[in-house]
Amino acid sequence: MAPEATLQSEVLKALRFPIAVGDILRKRLVLKKELLKQTNLVPTRIAILGGSTTTEVKSMLELFLLAQGIEPAFYESGYNRYAEDVEFENPDLWNFKPNIVFLHTTWHNISEFPELLEAEVEVERRVRREMARFESLWEKIHAELGALIIQNNFDLPRLRPLGNLEASESFGSVNFVLRLNAEFAGYARSHSRFLINDILYLSVQVGQAAWFRNSYWYNFHMALSPTATVSLAHNLAAIVKSVYGKSKKCLVLDLDNTLWGGVIGDDGLHNLILGKDHPVGEAFLDFQRYVKGLKRRGVILAVCSKNDAENAKEGFSHPDSVLKLEDFSAFKANWNPKPETIREIATELNIGLDSIVFIDDNPAERALVAEQLPEVAVPNVGSDVSGFAEVLEHERYFEVDKVVQDDLSRSTYYSSNAQRSTCQARFSNYEEFLASLEMTAEIGAFLPVYLERITQLINKTNQFNLTTRRYTSGEVEAIAQDPAFITLYGRLADKFGDNGLVSVLIGQVSDETIQLDLWLMSCRVLKREMEFAMFDALVERCQARGISKIVGVYIPSKKNSMVAGHYASLGFSPMGGASEGRELWCYHVPPTYSPRTRYIRRTAEALLAAASAESASVPSEV
Amino acid sequence: MTHDEFLLQMDEILDLPAGTLRGHERLEELPNWDSTSLITFIALAETNYDVYVSPGQIVTCSTVADLLRLAQSESSSS
Repeated sequence: MAPEATLQSEVLKALRFPIAVGDILRKRLVLKKELLKQTNLVPTRIAILGGSTTTEVKSMLELFLLAQGIEPAFYESGYNRYAEDVEFENPDLWNFKPNIVFLHTTWHNISEFPELLEAEVEVERRVRREMARFESLWEKIHAELGALIIQNNFDLPRLRPLGNLEASESFGSVNFVLRLNAEFAGYARSHSRFLINDILYLSVQVGQAAWFRNSYWYNFHMALSPTATVSLAHNLAAIVKSVYGKSKKCLVLDLDNTLWGGVIGDDGLHNLILGKDHPVGEAFLDFQRYVKGLKRRGVILAVCSKNDAENAKEGFSHPDSVLKLEDFSAFKANWNPKPETIREIATELNIGLDSIVFIDDNPAERALVAEQLPEVAVPNVGSDVSGFAEVLEHERYFEVDKVVQDDLSRSTYYSSNAQRSTCQARFSNYEEFLASLEMTAEIGAFLPVYLERITQLINKTNQFNLTTRRYTSGEVEAIAQDPAFITLYGRLADKFGDNGLVSVLIGQVSDETIQLDLWLMSCRVLKREMEFAMFDALVERCQARGISKIVGVYIPSKKNSMVAGHYASLGFSPMGGASEGRELWCYHVPPTYSPRTRYIRRTAEALLAAASAESASVPSEV
Repeated sequence: MTHDEFLLQMDEILDLPAGTLRGHERLEELPNWDSTSLITFIALAETNYDVYVSPGQIVTCSTVADLLRLAQSESSSS
């Protein structure tokens, strides 16, 4: 069950769209107390290094993170000590060992603006100097603290002495800020573990007048008003949520008056309101485009509609429908209660209910789903389609810290999964079905090209996950380069398509023993014997490094009961040293080993890559 | 905003059970009266009364009732 499911809905309501800033400010302490009653909170350590006062930022960020099931511990720099704390290695910061460093700087912290009529070449030098100043901080944080960095870009200066020329002239302050922001963005594109908190956008959204207030600046050195601080914290929490893999995965949509105007069963295909010829039809068209965009970047789409199935499907043959039937990975049109249907969708897609967002124009349906499935996010979108996308945007349900290739092919996977299901139905024997899939696996030590996907999988896989340990991308990168670890990733393909990178294993080596700190697999490939292929690869590496004993760790959680028997099924024996909430299992590596894999062929390229990565990571004395 | 409504809001700001504050309480004796609650009070005065109350003015207040009087007087003079 999602952490939020245990909360009173009224508590979370204050933190959801439309956000009532006054309510949050007033109820701050009450909200915090309620949110801390949740169980299964994910701990994280965040250092806030401020170019202005950050007390309010910390207070609000804490609320929004707790609402996402993340419990932060904070380090706060002194006022405007963001650079000194890093440059002079403040021991309090170093001892804090942050997972995340948030650099809360604003335009007030730009050290030099161009002079009037300054030559372009000198302006460019100023840009370089400012970048060098920030880059030296970022590099030191990455190198010494190993933390993920979240860096504000810059909001715009409050005053414009040159008027509109501030934007167009190279020496204009607006122009200069936008150039710096472009440089920050360029750095983010070329560096992992570095994310931008886009306060330029936030300041526009909040409105410049409400974003910055002289009174708060001169009295408290708050670079943001309380209203702006709430907006910043909300956005920041969405970034952290994505880093910890807590973003939603699937958008479940009603059809009539949600994706088109009218009721297809009553009005018929040609009377639906959809398309540019009608003001409301254009709003439905735009919402469909927005949804299609979500699908393109990896959000799974599903339909949950009270309709006859054939009528419902016909709607997508409307000439103006941007969404097509094949865009949906699950399609349920029936007369059953919607909570029941959404449960079926979650089962069919192999995802948790807490990965789902449900959109329906009907408030009664929304209320029913919200009440019976508290894990499902049910935003109050109202009944006006022109506001649906805005609500989804504000809630930041699908925030991602990176778009990787596997995200783009996720819908393809779910579509080909339907073909797999059809194929499976033709076989009375499951093993014949597995053989018919013609599966191939690429298994090897972590490669730089896969680190983003590996981190993503580590932070969002809950069910087939033996320990549910979470790692930041920095930690994954460090482990990948550390010869004291054996790492494995696994990709699986079959005749219907590529399932992508679906399994990750991390083991720590000590003498002749390896302890498996992490072993997970995407639920996409359950019951495909991919875990056998991973185990075969692990045993091969153990044999190559003279490791005789594999210790498996199982830490039960509310979501991983499916792997309770995992080590027993692989021939491990229970061993002593277990503690409450932690089981230890032991496997003695035999001199000769018969592979468990029966239906998965390991590709030669992967074997070569793995061997080469292995030889590179094994110390010469071994 | 009535006197009672104001007191209920202050109860929430200071994480006290509804109905705790009566107005005569001394601010310096309230455990959660700190810089954050002070900023919250300023923000709420803006929201509720559309006035800006400065920290310097708040320093002159001794009791919860003084805070209400301050917000109301600023509101009537603006």
